[in-house]
Amino acid sequence: MRKKVWYMLLLLSFISLQVVAQSVSVSGVVRDAENNSTLPGVSVMVKGTSQGVPTDLNGQFTLSVPKGATLQFSYIGYQTQQLIVTSNEMLNVKLQPASTAMNEVVVVGYGTSKAKDLTAPISVVKPETLMQRTVSSPMDALQGSVAGVQVTTNGSPGSSPSVRIRGVGSINNTGPLYVVDGMFYDNIDFLNSSDIQSMSILKDASAAAIYGVRAANGVVIITTKSGTLDTPTKVTYSGYAGFQTPSNMLKMANGSQYAAMELAKGLTSDVAHVTLSAQKFGGSGNNPTTSTNWYDQILRKSAFTQSHSINVSGGSDKMTFSFGLNYLYQNGIMNTQNNYNRFNIHAQTDYQAYKWLKLGYNVVLSNAILYSPNNAAFAYAYAASPLYPVYDPNNTLAKPIDYASSTSIGFSNGQFSNPVAAANYYYNKTNILEILPTVFAEANIWDNKLVWKTQLSQSYTIDRVVGYTPQFFVDQSQMSSLAGVAKEQDYYNNLVLDNTLTYKDQFGQNHLSVLLGNSVRTEMMQQATESASLPSTIANTTENYYIHNGIGINANDNGSQYNGLSFFARATYDYASRYLLTATMRADASSKFQQKWGYFPSIGAGWIMSEEKFMAHQHLFDYLKARVSWGQLGNDAVPPSNGFMSMNSGIGYSGIYGSSGTANGAYVPGYVSSNFFSWLTWEVVNEWDGGFDFSMFHQHLNGTVDYYNRVTSNAVLNSPQPMGAPTLLGNFAKITNSGFELTLNWKDKIGDLGYSIGGNISTLKNTVDNLHGLAYIMGGKAEFPNISEPGQPLNSFYGYKVVGVYQNAAQIAADPIAVANGLKPGDFKYADVNHDGVLNNSDNVLLGSYLPKITYGMNLGLTYKNFELNIMLQGQAGNKILNMNRANRLWYSDMNGDAQLVTHLWTGEGSTNSYPSALGTTKGWNNMASSFFVESGSYLRVQTIQLAYSFKLGNAPKAPSMRISFTADRPLIFTKYSGFTPEIGYSQAYNWGSGYDTQTYPTASTYSLGWTITY
Amino acid sequence: MIRLKYFILTGVFALALSSCNSLLDKMPENVAPIAGVDYTQLSNMYQPVSGVYRIAESANPGLVHWMDLGIRAIRGDDTDKGSSSSDQAQLNEIKGFHYNYADIVSFWGTNNYFNDYYGLILDCNSALTELSKYAAHIPASDAVNQKLNLQYQGEVRFIRAFAHLMLYRVFGQVPILTDNSQIQTIGKSSTKEVLTWISSEMDFCIANLEDARPNQSIHFGAVTKYSADMLKAIVNADLAGNDNASPYWQTVLNTTNDIINSGKFSLYPDYYQLFKKPGKMCNESLFELQFSDFGTSSGPAVEPDAFFAFQGPRGDQHGSPISGWGFMNPSQSIVSFLQGRNDSIRLKTTVLFTSSPGHNYYVTPSNDTIWPNSDGDNYFNGKVYLPSSQMTPGRTDYGENNNIRVLRYADALLFNAEAKIRMGQNGDAPLNLVRARVGLTPITGATLQNVLDERRAEFACEWWGERFDDLVRTGQAASALTGFVAGQSEFIPIPQTQINLNTNLK
Repeated sequence: MRKKVWYMLLLLSFISLQVVAQSVSVSGVVRDAENNSTLPGVSVMVKGTSQGVPTDLNGQFTLSVPKGATLQFSYIGYQTQQLIVTSNEMLNVKLQPASTAMNEVVVVGYGTSKAKDLTAPISVVKPETLMQRTVSSPMDALQGSVAGVQVTTNGSPGSSPSVRIRGVGSINNTGPLYVVDGMFYDNIDFLNSSDIQSMSILKDASAAAIYGVRAANGVVIITTKSGTLDTPTKVTYSGYAGFQTPSNMLKMANGSQYAAMELAKGLTSDVAHVTLSAQKFGGSGNNPTTSTNWYDQILRKSAFTQSHSINVSGGSDKMTFSFGLNYLYQNGIMNTQNNYNRFNIHAQTDYQAYKWLKLGYNVVLSNAILYSPNNAAFAYAYAASPLYPVYDPNNTLAKPIDYASSTSIGFSNGQFSNPVAAANYYYNKTNILEILPTVFAEANIWDNKLVWKTQLSQSYTIDRVVGYTPQFFVDQSQMSSLAGVAKEQDYYNNLVLDNTLTYKDQFGQNHLSVLLGNSVRTEMMQQATESASLPSTIANTTENYYIHNGIGINANDNGSQYNGLSFFARATYDYASRYLLTATMRADASSKFQQKWGYFPSIGAGWIMSEEKFMAHQHLFDYLKARVSWGQLGNDAVPPSNGFMSMNSGIGYSGIYGSSGTANGAYVPGYVSSNFFSWLTWEVVNEWDGGFDFSMFHQHLNGTVDYYNRVTSNAVLNSPQPMGAPTLLGNFAKITNSGFELTLNWKDKIGDLGYSIGGNISTLKNTVDNLHGLAYIMGGKAEFPNISEPGQPLNSFYGYKVVGVYQNAAQIAADPIAVANGLKPGDFKYADVNHDGVLNNSDNVLLGSYLPKITYGMNLGLTYKNFELNIMLQGQAGNKILNMNRANRLWYSDMNGDAQLVTHLWTGEGSTNSYPSALGTTKGWNNMASSFFVESGSYLRVQTIQLAYSFKLGNAPKAPSMRISFTADRPLIFTKYSGFTPEIGYSQAYNWGSGYDTQTYPTASTYSLGWTITY
Repeated sequence: MIRLKYFILTGVFALALSSCNSLLDKMPENVAPIAGVDYTQLSNMYQPVSGVYRIAESANPGLVHWMDLGIRAIRGDDTDKGSSSSDQAQLNEIKGFHYNYADIVSFWGTNNYFNDYYGLILDCNSALTELSKYAAHIPASDAVNQKLNLQYQGEVRFIRAFAHLMLYRVFGQVPILTDNSQIQTIGKSSTKEVLTWISSEMDFCIANLEDARPNQSIHFGAVTKYSADMLKAIVNADLAGNDNASPYWQTVLNTTNDIINSGKFSLYPDYYQLFKKPGKMCNESLFELQFSDFGTSSGPAVEPDAFFAFQGPRGDQHGSPISGWGFMNPSQSIVSFLQGRNDSIRLKTTVLFTSSPGHNYYVTPSNDTIWPNSDGDNYFNGKVYLPSSQMTPGRTDYGENNNIRVLRYADALLFNAEAKIRMGQNGDAPLNLVRARVGLTPITGATLQNVLDERRAEFACEWWGERFDDLVRTGQAASALTGFVAGQSEFIPIPQTQINLNTNLK
């Protein structure tokens, strides 16, 4: 290919040499072929010579050239064009924008822009990136692909990943705002990657400020697919099928390892677990033979997954359309009814009704069925003793299945429930219906210069949850004497009405665009829950899961509604496409706050340095833009503040009277009033960002580098109150997140071998600047708390620092702390930070935060003829995890543990300086919050390896093309963390915040075969 | 065409402007503002009081959290921690009076205790605010409702005072919290101030509460004048300590006399059944927390969290509902004590054994079987035991539908006897009433120790820390309790977590 070009050029220059003739003066103007604006600084060269001029500020040039010479017009971001000069004509040259990154059309809030005109760091994710992954949620698919965006996945089918853009500035709702075709969402799990046309991530305040109050955590704008004008109909069918298998399996202590620990404790109950196991389930004396691997028992070795998508799109001269159907199935790796089925329809049509009026609609309908697993089974599997089997024919009371009970070897607590029974005696089905209809009218009022657009976006979500517990018995603490059914209906109805007026014009080299807008939105939620017991006469079939037949019916409901009103404006201006300026302003009002209105301005400036004369003669940079921006954002995604005293009434707040030896008693109506209420104002983010976009080495290397500094003032934090008063939300903190983001991509070709290598890395420094006078705020789990302190990261884990293990009686006697606390050899030695000889609260230290200091991604692509190989890596470093599975020993001292822990316990002087003795694991002293339970969450993962082969089906020019791929998704992880997965999001089961590893659904590796047919 | 264009645009513009500010004055859904309460509806005046009872019947906040009873009662010589030895090991450290251990200072349980009881006090204070708002709307001519308002205030103030007493018993110097706005800054009061304040609160209650037995109240089971008499007697006995010359004994005598002389109360004849279903809200009850399953086999039931399960028999109970976590077990000391004095009715009531001669199981007097366990727990608390035959069919939670006894007439009789003896009078009559009920022979010329022994036996393994309090106030703690150091071991320090939130609690 390259050779051919050289020959052509040689030939052309030869020809031009041949026809040396008289000179003619040519002049002309160079314009952008798309928007007709004049282009200054375009290089106009006589081909094969060094003769040439740049166009002036009005895009005009005059040049004397030999008649018949070839003029070459080149300009960064445009396709080079050649013209043969035949006469003294006035040339009107139109340059086609090149399809390079700089010319990409980027969706920004309420409009679009070209990448090169942006003054803000906006990352664009292409559908190809999303389609490479075999995951159900589009946000899962971009993990590791975008600098500054941290995605923490959750292995459970159909579950949401947690997403953070540039750190955390609020405890509440740290996820970004998703704007899908104009509608606001908190997550986009319902979307299928194949329906997405583009995804723009507005990372900084200047880009996001147009979304004002909802934008404090960044904005992800998603545009679903639409057709293009004058395009023949294109049909694409793509899909994959494969299996998932649990990865990075946690190794638990086996029967003999656990037995050794229990015997070493020497306590009656613990020794009994061992001897009872030997007596009842095989073995002799202190040597039981049972060794149940509970995780093996509750996990599937392979879980099927598949996806199929058909897209049809096209357009005539007046209308465009796109239509998509897709189906996704993902089985869970918990070996129970645990899977996710999703069927989506997407349809779009735009129609030019009149010359001045375009009408259109866009509908996404998502219909999913999710069977959720009992996540408690994972916690049970960690705690369960390996010394009893799954089934026990001698457990004669067990019904309907003869599951073994841990009471048979002396356990007596629900935490020691049989994990397999817990997983199986569980049914939870959720039907999720999401409808997202959007209609718009766009009126071209004045010659493409003034455009009015009105768009009504709605979202209806209906979740229907049916839970069922059969009548069963394993033991007294794991049983259900009656079958029970519990139902929940959630109805969400959100509405956004946007009106925008856009004015675009140019005056010479001045390009101006002004947007004025108004937006009204309401968010409404209604929820109803009911539960009842079902008499045993009702058979256990899903058709009978109705409250109607039940006894002891319990019903409840809830609701919320918030309204918002906004006015916004944006002006963009550039001079000669070289100096760029963007300013936005949004005024937002929300019914959530006592203070109704908030105002959010932003400004951004860009300088395309490579267009300057002084850069004209260098060859390093093909393109270089410097940007700087500042903006303010609001966050109303916090619980509404009431601003008034409220009361609770109903049977939950009514006393019981008359419960005597002869009467049942009854409620006397009551209510409880609360003096405590929060009074909140807007969280405000102030962010500035500076960066460069560049293209180097003949556009082989493209990159972006940014520094950001975002300060959240009035950050809403939960503040615990003394004396049992409810935790109150307040605007307590000022928090700074700052860091660098670097993205680099190199692309080149050597012969038939094309290759690309790229990477992104972002750093995050999260600091609490002040707490409005408070010295600190405690959070998290009371026994394993986190703390927010000025000068330190938000919610840092907090506790004693383990410096070793007391090895002998002499060490105990020599340490007043050990004496005062009645310690024995084999107990932890904690750092006496203030050296006062007493271990107390003042010796607690910060043990690190759940926020990673560095997140990174890398990708490598190779193409050779029809083959493609893509490898993606992803990782993070510097974050901490509180291993609650280990910490649970505080409450459940005779639980099992991971093999690493159980086989490394202190057994005598010199055995270890890192783990307590077996008896020590049962003591409160060794189970206090300490560095022992806080582990590094750093990891590097091979995200995907994909090998693909593309070919034509047949020889006809219009023959369908096909691509077949093999994908290994998340095949490998490298981490030192002692749990299943270092990806720990917000703990859903408890309200402790992020970074607590408990009941975490393990991640799976997926191996699949994929295909795409395009016609 | 052009006209259509402008017509549409005008319409859209009008629509945009119609989104006016009234949109923003949206009240939160499903949050009932107090401002919406109609205080002229005096028929609703009892509602905040009923709400306080319900919170008192709850765990968090409330009076019945299992951990709270564990911390309070474990310090007596009548209970062992039970369960497996490493389960909730901090309770044993508290029992050993190792209050300075680092894991006790940061123990969740003590913080839980503090929050549960002050949380209830906060709700009491809010309810009193509500009652004052009703009071402001009672016409001057409406003496009936004015009296009722004072009575209702008395009920709330009784519960608030009782919660303070429970805080005092664990932490000693605690804040007297009557104004919820002070929680960030309030400081501690001395133990004497706390007890004196409770006593003066009871004066208000005695003056305004119903002159009736709780089970005679219109609100069946509500506290009455006599409940307040009883509480006043208790705090005055604490104030008096072991000083027979203390003037507080006169108050103990007067208030207990008031109860006895009312003639309204009597001991429930069957001590065993007193703690079971037949004894619920009997004529002996001065204060009782009521619960109910409403006689239904399933559906909503009001239960005291894990209060009963916490103390239920541990181990494989072969599917019997008579099972639980096995904490707060009768100690060998109390078993031997009851056996030694041939106190057989109290023994069979207080203790569930795990074996009987010739069997490796125990059959209760109500024909439930208690199976042994592998944790070495030989006795379980019989006073929380509700026989399966008394349970509502279909219900399976241990103790479900039973009430929690708090204050009872036997306490009034024994304090009456104690005050009399300490003041040089004869206390035989009230003491022998209590003895006769459990089939013990009368004592003539009873000594103080006779009364204290009777208290030990009568209230063994109950939940309000009676035994530990008796040992402390009579100066016997150091000799009876291993590790007890007078002046150090009486009270647990205020939890570090609370000091962190309010440094005045230091």
